[in-house]
Amino acid sequence: MTKLEVKGVSFLYGKGTPFEKLALDNVSVSFEKGKITGLIGHTGSGKSTLVSLLNGLYKPEEGEVLLDGVNIWQKPSEISKIRFRVGLVMQYPEYQLFDETVRRDIEFGPRNQGLSDEEINERVNEAIRFTGITEDLLEKSPFELSGGQKRRVAIAGILAMRPEVLVLDEPAAGLDPRGRREILGGLSDYVKESGVTLILVSHSMEDMAYYCDNVVVMSDSKVYKAGTVDEIFSSATELEAIGLDVPVISKIASRLKACGIELEGKLYTVGGVRDAIINYLGGNAK
Amino acid sequence: MISDITLGQYFPGDSCIHKLDPRTKIILTVLFIVTVFLVNTPLGFLTILLSVISLILLSRISIRVILKGVKPIIYVLIFTALINLFMTKGESQPLVDFYFIEIYKEGIIRAVFMALRVILLIIGTSVLLTYTTSPISLTDGIESLLSPLKKIKIPVHVFAMMMTIALRFIPTLIEETEKIMNAQKSRGADFSSGSLIKRAKALIPIIIPLFVSSFKRADELAVAMECRCYRGDKNRTKLVKLEFRGRDYAWFGIGLVFLAAVIALMIIPSHITGILPETVYNVFFYKI
Amino acid sequence: MDNYNIRALRCENLSFVYDDDAEQEKVILPPPALDNVTVSINRGEYIAVLGHNGSGKSTFAKLLNLILQPTYGKIYINGKDITSEEMTEDDIFDIRSKIGMVFQNPDNQLVATIVEEDVAFGPENLGIERSEIRKRVDEALKVVDMTDYARHAPHKLSGGQKQRVAIAGIIAMHPEVIIFDESTAMLDPLGRREVLNIMEKLNREENITVINITHYMEEAARADRVLIINDGKLLADGTAKQIFSKVDLLHSIGLESPQGTELLAELSKLGYDVPSDAITEDECFDALKALLSQKGGRL
Repeated sequence: MTKLEVKGVSFLYGKGTPFEKLALDNVSVSFEKGKITGLIGHTGSGKSTLVSLLNGLYKPEEGEVLLDGVNIWQKPSEISKIRFRVGLVMQYPEYQLFDETVRRDIEFGPRNQGLSDEEINERVNEAIRFTGITEDLLEKSPFELSGGQKRRVAIAGILAMRPEVLVLDEPAAGLDPRGRREILGGLSDYVKESGVTLILVSHSMEDMAYYCDNVVVMSDSKVYKAGTVDEIFSSATELEAIGLDVPVISKIASRLKACGIELEGKLYTVGGVRDAIINYLGGNAK
Repeated sequence: MISDITLGQYFPGDSCIHKLDPRTKIILTVLFIVTVFLVNTPLGFLTILLSVISLILLSRISIRVILKGVKPIIYVLIFTALINLFMTKGESQPLVDFYFIEIYKEGIIRAVFMALRVILLIIGTSVLLTYTTSPISLTDGIESLLSPLKKIKIPVHVFAMMMTIALRFIPTLIEETEKIMNAQKSRGADFSSGSLIKRAKALIPIIIPLFVSSFKRADELAVAMECRCYRGDKNRTKLVKLEFRGRDYAWFGIGLVFLAAVIALMIIPSHITGILPETVYNVFFYKI
Repeated sequence: MDNYNIRALRCENLSFVYDDDAEQEKVILPPPALDNVTVSINRGEYIAVLGHNGSGKSTFAKLLNLILQPTYGKIYINGKDITSEEMTEDDIFDIRSKIGMVFQNPDNQLVATIVEEDVAFGPENLGIERSEIRKRVDEALKVVDMTDYARHAPHKLSGGQKQRVAIAGIIAMHPEVIIFDESTAMLDPLGRREVLNIMEKLNREENITVINITHYMEEAARADRVLIINDGKLLADGTAKQIFSKVDLLHSIGLESPQGTELLAELSKLGYDVPSDAITEDECFDALKALLSQKGGRL
């Protein structure tokens, strides 16, 4: 079921100045409810612009953004309500922390929503559970935390608003493998439990292949291709044609297939290729 | 996007004004400002107006850009003009006399010329200096001009370095402010409604992160500079050395002639009262 | 002592404790950020230092070019103790000019508002003659392929381009060692590739010792030698092959091996006969092809 839909959207930066630049060119794409959709593309392909149109930070020049079938710009004065329904976590979100304690910082969004203390408390607890923040951190200053912890607090601040759609721009950028796994794994659990719609922007094809259900590929301000993870990553050559990486494991898998070795299954994760190989070899370990 | 604002409004080019040594331009600008404040006759204004027009033509900066530069000060202009219009008392009968408002002929003339003075000042200095000089060479120029002050232990180099770093980081910080604003808007922050106090409070979530990140940047930059062996101006050389060339001396000459001409126009009139027809004299040498 | 002459850099029992208020007598000191690290680095080596965030690898880098002073231990360059108290300020700046450092955030290491003036910043500080600076700036910009941007403003460049300018600024000081302290962490894949290519070019063509501090396995896999630092300790030191074949060890400290190696390790655990030291895509492909064609018999 479609939750959020972008229809024929175009967007210009610096309209009317010498710096005018078309960032989105007649983009249409839909995001399914309860699924994780990955957004991939080069820097400058338009994906970050698309992301900031989804929660109404910018208004499209043409076309519309539909949330549950309703144009989010129908009542421009109520756009801030849309921002509570479509939560956006920007790149390197740790820069947004400002309050005295971690708890108060996470509460900032929910307070702006005008919720009761009790409700806020419940949401903070939920948010820290999925982002792996321990309770003892709640009364600390966010500026005392490590980089990875700050990142989690920033994400928790958006989760606590309980948005129906959650958009994250490179939530794991700059983190080590364990940090990536913990953040992305927590988000993945959150989707399963709460049924929110998650949109994930990342440069890491390995992460995309592992965590996403669907993938949208952007190139040159347009949607280049959209489909399920299987559909997108099974054609490694197409992604490579527009200069994007594919997971090393799927490169190896497609080279094996090219040699006439008929592997079948999810050939874009380590586990998937392993199972395919075991299957191919008759399921018995030597 | 706000990050598109070019700082100092420098427009790269290779016109003869662009090519001048920054120190020449700084000195000429000072001369220009002095002249604009001294001038007090229509003929003097005409001289300055013509020279500003030739500066614009020489700099090859489009007239649209220049008018855009005047736009932000339009209220200052109107305010200055109005003050002069109402506050100037003339000798003749007031043209308008409405309760406490009295407008004299002198007031109108003065208002027009004051506005003109401000406009010429803005356009002249920006064409001569800010539009045609990159911030960095401006800093170099100031450092070089102030270098005699080093003898009395004023850390000129340090100030110049601070200015360079400030110039380098302003666009970065503007970009960052926009980013933080968007992040807080996404958390439901509202910067545009409510009482003044409420709005001021709404700025806290922007200002604190901005400070925190600026301190972090400063810290990292300091380490990076140390790694690149920065130790003040001790034993330091420069890639670009400022050098006066022929054209700089030529321009100094022009500038001095210009100043002399305006001063002459202030002194001469009383000596030539009999030579020119009285109407011409009254128009050209009317004391504003 | 002769031994040191062939070693560009030698660290002995290097330890560092972050202690914000040194005056206060503290009963409990924080755990050392770097703990008793002894390692020798030869001229011309291409080394990756791997570790998770907060493992102490950045502290290691800052000690090497004397931004931090070791709490214990010594660092020698060609046999000379550079941590001794006899080092003058001139000596220290001399060492910094020989050991260049490129940091993570490209924005926070560019000083000037014009690319070439930024590149000139280091040589200017060294008091090099003007014509020589000009030559070095032009050469350095050429090495990082940014000659066309010499007169541009840094803030208009992409992350990768900014980082290349920062590298040029270091190259222009003519260093013998360049430490890249997570220099690719904030870049997109394209920018990362550019910076990595430059690292390798500097190592191969200019014989510069490259130390790449990173947590990206794919980057470390390209180096000749890999050091793993965990909780401030030097946990492993070996070739990329030796290090990445220890998949379990890497997992235990929150790191990973390249995907192909991970797959081979899993298959090996299940009893399949596959090599454990295949690192590159080609090696892994060959290993898997050999395994699969045995049984499939189609090749």
